[in-house]
Amino acid sequence: MIKVEKLTNYVKKINYQHLRKKIFGNVTTDGLVFKIFVYLLLIGISYVFVYPFIRMILLSFMSQKDVLDNEVYWIPSKFTLESLRRACEVLGLPRNFKEWFNFKKVFKSSLMNSIKISTLYGLIQTLVAALTGFAFARFKFKLKNFWFAMVIFSFIVPLPVVMVPRIMMFETIQMKVKVLGTIYPQLFLTLFGQGVNNAILILIFYNFFKMIPHSLDEAARIDGANSLQVFWHIFIRMSLSIIVTVFLFAFVWNWNESYMTSTFLRYKIPLLPMNLSIFDSTFSNLYGGSNSAEQIRINESYKMAGTLITMLPLIILYIFAQRQFIEGIERTGITGE
Amino acid sequence: MNNNKKKQIIKAIKSNLGGYLFLAPWLIGFLVFTGIPFLYTFYLSFTNVNQTALGWQIKWNNFENYNDIFFKNTQFLPSLLEFIIMQVLYVPVILVISFILAVLLNQDIKGRAILRTIFFLPVIILSGSVMQQFISSGAANFASINSIFIFHIVSNYSRFFAQIIEVLFVNFTIVLWFTGIPIILFINALQKIDHQLYEATQIDGASWWQILWKITIPMVKSTALVVTIYTIVNLGLYNIRPRQSNITAIYDLIKNALGVTSNGLGYASAYAVLYTIVVFILVGFALLVLRNRDKVKVVESLQERQQKKLAWIQKRNKKKLMKGVNKND
Repeated sequence: MIKVEKLTNYVKKINYQHLRKKIFGNVTTDGLVFKIFVYLLLIGISYVFVYPFIRMILLSFMSQKDVLDNEVYWIPSKFTLESLRRACEVLGLPRNFKEWFNFKKVFKSSLMNSIKISTLYGLIQTLVAALTGFAFARFKFKLKNFWFAMVIFSFIVPLPVVMVPRIMMFETIQMKVKVLGTIYPQLFLTLFGQGVNNAILILIFYNFFKMIPHSLDEAARIDGANSLQVFWHIFIRMSLSIIVTVFLFAFVWNWNESYMTSTFLRYKIPLLPMNLSIFDSTFSNLYGGSNSAEQIRINESYKMAGTLITMLPLIILYIFAQRQFIEGIERTGITGE
Repeated sequence: MNNNKKKQIIKAIKSNLGGYLFLAPWLIGFLVFTGIPFLYTFYLSFTNVNQTALGWQIKWNNFENYNDIFFKNTQFLPSLLEFIIMQVLYVPVILVISFILAVLLNQDIKGRAILRTIFFLPVIILSGSVMQQFISSGAANFASINSIFIFHIVSNYSRFFAQIIEVLFVNFTIVLWFTGIPIILFINALQKIDHQLYEATQIDGASWWQILWKITIPMVKSTALVVTIYTIVNLGLYNIRPRQSNITAIYDLIKNALGVTSNGLGYASAYAVLYTIVVFILVGFALLVLRNRDKVKVVESLQERQQKKLAWIQKRNKKKLMKGVNKND
């Protein structure tokens, strides 16, 4: 009897309203149920996001036997580097540990080509975008709004529609000087501000420069600085962090660009993503192709290993610079205006 | 006074000069590589372009290219249709999903930074060739809904819709990968909304559903427009198809046409022109749907209207009077 009384007392003591508020929430706070729901949803969606990447990574470490084994789906029974090695060979990279230390060879590989070219284009693109952004942020000139609209237009207009005259242009030059198959066509494009997603980079600079107070450059002008000096000593100095961000974006986009690269470079200079896109044909040239179902599955693991290798430099970059990337997009300032 | 005006003019000239000086690299590039080529392609699409040893031979041939595309070529129209289906299907899905994710991420949630990092990852590492490898190897295939009962019902009604829904589910991962930048833009827009607005509506007794529709969505509408345009542009860059078929993606089709020696460029430009028109129509449609409609309408008060009417009558009477005077003369 005493025990039951105690229990009923205990039950009476519970503040039901409080409990209800904790579980289901009210107007001002979210309840536990809602929070759990949100977490489950987010975790579920992020699983869908990264699922292919996880699968890719694990597949590229699997041995041939594991790939064919239906019981092995996620965790390889033995980690091997065999697929990665093959993929390295197909992508034009050194395949042994020893060869990776042969710097002469590494320096000529597709990886280094990609890094060199993306860096070059990225730097030029950053500089041109900064100049353009500065012009829009600080000067009043005729047709300013029109040209600004044209910046947006150049983002929306699909590449194929401007590609035909560009090709004709460079083919005409090709008769006098060899430019196709070299880096020069794209170098010209980036030099004149028509690189990959250049409009976004301009917007990032434009919005950042607009935030810099006018009094700063006015003071410099009174001291006798000209526009170029103002640009260099005030704007560039003040926006080093944004320059890094823009450069990173330009680097990544140039790395990933395939449309212009394949038309102008024509596979003459091996690049990592280019080699990935012709992975199949290179592979069958090297090892001979057979079309049995087993072989196709094994080839898939090679392809995934190749994809992993192509992504790896970018993933490493992203790990170190994720904050810059995300802030960069926030700073385009296209929201809210 | 005069001196002041002179100074102003000099200042304006200086500003113009400086502006165009800094703009010059981009401006030249835009005119030479984008602006003029854009217009030139329209011209080329009506011509027959051949490469000879001497240079380019361009011959006007009226609507021949378009005639071929619409009535002879069997490749282009299916690809274009496929492209339109993909855009119409994927863009709203991406828009809605990225908005929902942004709203969820904008809350007080642990591990927000990690989730944001994950959602942004595809922006960095996705390229055309990587996407192609993922699709061809089937690693991106997420769920197959073939065995679900409802799917069979849909399938019985329309094979076409069933295919589309199926591919949307199978490619769900790929659709999600396009939400990277939209999520960041939406979060940014959500953070710019004044908190006092929410509090005021909460005091007035609005539920979260009402707040969502009356405050949040109208406030992020301009961002939604940017996101939509970005997605339309971005989707065109990848070789994805709305359903499993052997129709060539339109980007590849144009690229293949570039390699054809006899009038390849003429066809390619006609393709590109049609493709561009479709993209512009889609963007225009997005503008139409998501434009700001809440501009303050000037509602004339009764008094103002009466005054206007009065002025109009007076004017008319004056004219009549003048006419009368003229006749009398």
